[in-house]
Amino acid sequence: MFAQALSATLETLINQFLRYNLHGTRALKPLSGKTLTVKLAELPWPLSFTISHEKVHVTSSEEHYHCCLITSISTLFELNKNQQLTDLIKNDQLDIQGDLKVAQRFAEIAQTLDIDWQSELAKRIGDIPTYQLGQLGRQLRDKLNFAAKQIQADAGEWLVHEKRMIVTAAELDSFSLEVEQVEQQASALQQRLEQLINQASKPS
Amino acid sequence: MMSAPDQNHPVNTDNSDENTTHFGFQTVDKNEKESKVASVFHSVAQQYDIMNDLMSFGVHRLWKRFTIDASGVRPGNKVLDLAGGTGDLTAKFSQLVGREGKVILADINSSMLNVGRDKLRDRGLVQNIEYVQANAQYLPFEDNTFDIITIAFGLRNVTDKDMALRSMYRVLKPGGRLLVLEFSKPEHELVNKAYDFYSFNILPKMGELVAKDGDSYQYLAESIRMHPDQETLKTMMDSAGFEQTSFKNLTGGVVALHKGYKF
Repeated sequence: MFAQALSATLETLINQFLRYNLHGTRALKPLSGKTLTVKLAELPWPLSFTISHEKVHVTSSEEHYHCCLITSISTLFELNKNQQLTDLIKNDQLDIQGDLKVAQRFAEIAQTLDIDWQSELAKRIGDIPTYQLGQLGRQLRDKLNFAAKQIQADAGEWLVHEKRMIVTAAELDSFSLEVEQVEQQASALQQRLEQLINQASKPS
Repeated sequence: MMSAPDQNHPVNTDNSDENTTHFGFQTVDKNEKESKVASVFHSVAQQYDIMNDLMSFGVHRLWKRFTIDASGVRPGNKVLDLAGGTGDLTAKFSQLVGREGKVILADINSSMLNVGRDKLRDRGLVQNIEYVQANAQYLPFEDNTFDIITIAFGLRNVTDKDMALRSMYRVLKPGGRLLVLEFSKPEHELVNKAYDFYSFNILPKMGELVAKDGDSYQYLAESIRMHPDQETLKTMMDSAGFEQTSFKNLTGGVVALHKGYKF
């Protein structure tokens, strides 16, 4: 019954997101009665998304669908890039059965989700706590960004200068330049040798 | 307090003859069972949903979801949710069959039907649902009417189960399917013992505390023990005419979903 637990959780989350969507659930209307089934390589059961009564119903049944995508989770995230669709199908990373337009409409709805989290939070905990939480969040994000940059710099120093496990970009450039110069000198030497051989082989 | 069945009451021993049947561990006249079951459900109707959540720790929602998934329901289907009570399955079916489909919520008990109707209307589900007070043994529908029939936690309360199964077979369309979700026999002895302890010691107390009716929940525990086990129910479905019958144990066999087709 993991399948049912997962589909129940997904259904609740998706419908909550839709409820908070600034554009409401109007976008679902054209898809009313349509079912998109997704078979993921990582899951032993399918997930079917049916639109009805301006809600999304998630089941683990595959007996009836308008479009079925057979793919993996990692490929799923690449699906919004239209130009990659053909490549994914060619590489056997994606198989589509049924009406592709249904899948595209589902993807459009997902992309147009627009949720004003601050206003939703303010409705529950009030304006001032929401403002303070927002400030706190921003400060935390700045500090985390700074810490990440600092850790990256320190780790780089340690690897380059202390452990000498990797080289810097400047060292790599200088090495590449030297290799290039050696290549040019070798090429010039080869040409000179060829000239000398030609001269020696000519009858005097 | 009534003791566990393996001590004083033989499990699922059918002492009934042609004129009698069991009501929990009691043997009663067949005509009497219907009114006794009715009084149980009149009594618990208002607290039915909350008690279901408490007694099963919410798992009944997953069992019902499993039933919906196994039903293969599609837009336009006509579904009979028999003994549908407070309408959990009807609510989901109603949304999945769409405007072209129809769901009939049927229950023998008017109190349960009223609670179900109020709940579904409050949720805005009105377009494709009909309510029918009906006895599963004498279904008031024409032959070959439904694509899907479900009976969830209802069959064990029916006086003549064979007759009810035949009645369901009659109203099912060729190609249609019956799904019976019902308490059953746990697969492992340890689970069985824990389940017995829970059913006979904790469940009636919860019923007393929440629904102010310990006796009804004592009946619930007893009726579960008297209900046919997985294989017996499958054989009963075969005898009623269903084909390709199968069952799937859920939560270690505490509940089983039986499925059968009419061809």
